[in-house]
Amino acid sequence: MIADYLDKLSTALSFDRSLSRCVREEVEDHLREAVAADPGADRREAEARAIARFGDPLVIAAHFVVVSLRRETRRVGATVLVAIAGIFIMMKARLAWYALIEWPLADDMRALGSAVGLIDAYAFWISLIIGLGGFAYISVATALHSQYRTQVHWFCLMCAAATAALAISIASDGVLTSLRMVGADFSAAALIPIASMAVEIVCAAALALQIRAISRRVAALKNPPPL
Amino acid sequence: MLKGHLDLIVLAALSTGPAHGYAVIEAIRRRSGQAFDLPEGTIYPALHRLEQAGLLSSRWVTAESGRRRRVYALTQRGQRALSEQSDVWRQFSAAIGSLLAGAGPRRKPA
Repeated sequence: MIADYLDKLSTALSFDRSLSRCVREEVEDHLREAVAADPGADRREAEARAIARFGDPLVIAAHFVVVSLRRETRRVGATVLVAIAGIFIMMKARLAWYALIEWPLADDMRALGSAVGLIDAYAFWISLIIGLGGFAYISVATALHSQYRTQVHWFCLMCAAATAALAISIASDGVLTSLRMVGADFSAAALIPIASMAVEIVCAAALALQIRAISRRVAALKNPPPL
Repeated sequence: MLKGHLDLIVLAALSTGPAHGYAVIEAIRRRSGQAFDLPEGTIYPALHRLEQAGLLSSRWVTAESGRRRRVYALTQRGQRALSEQSDVWRQFSAAIGSLLAGAGPRRKPA
């Protein structure tokens, strides 16, 4: 009977597998202890009483949604910062590579390169500031339950804005990389900027997918029951 | 009645020392004179939430039964929060007490 109950609880918590495993172990210990402490002689009845006192698995899982979302938002916040740092390293590595192999921009591309470089720099710093703001906001957000949905919504918006700014920065990087390649013969040296651009795009795409996933979960989240 | 006060209740139950979920529920029941007979399952989301907020810490231990058991304890931040929330509650309780003391049955004017 307890095993069936735990299966139902695990299924209800399937939105977060690690949380589900952890809660299952805790609840099993709780129910077994409650049965052991039950003065009744009939074990099955004691199990039924322990389960009835514990409550509906769906209601308990609904309470855990907020716990799970909070953990996930912090993870997404950290991912935003890691992605921004990764992209920054790629940009700097690419510039260091250009300097090392003495691959400057062609003279007729310099004016355009400067303008795009400015857009790149502003977009990157805006993305960093918004990303840091989002991470700080969700880290100190203490209100839970009904307010937490609003907080996560704002956090998702901040992450989306940071990712959009990052996408502009990456697009600018792409333009700058293309400007250097235009007219130049393709060589093995070009593989480094191309590879670094690919890493930047993958970072931004992974970030966008994570934000999309959490936004969908927030949208699907009905008001959790108050504790 | 318990809505909004569960955090304070759980923190108070852990004020005497670390305990696992079942023991927390038993402590709440015992120390409230059986007045707070919560649906037991609601304690666990609260424990996880308070841990996320940094008010509790937890560790897994092996119980005498051989099962793994998660034991929760108040952190320093949790002790401060308990102290602050207790003060607020005492003030609120005293204010309501004073209010009710002056709210006797209305007399008919002579």
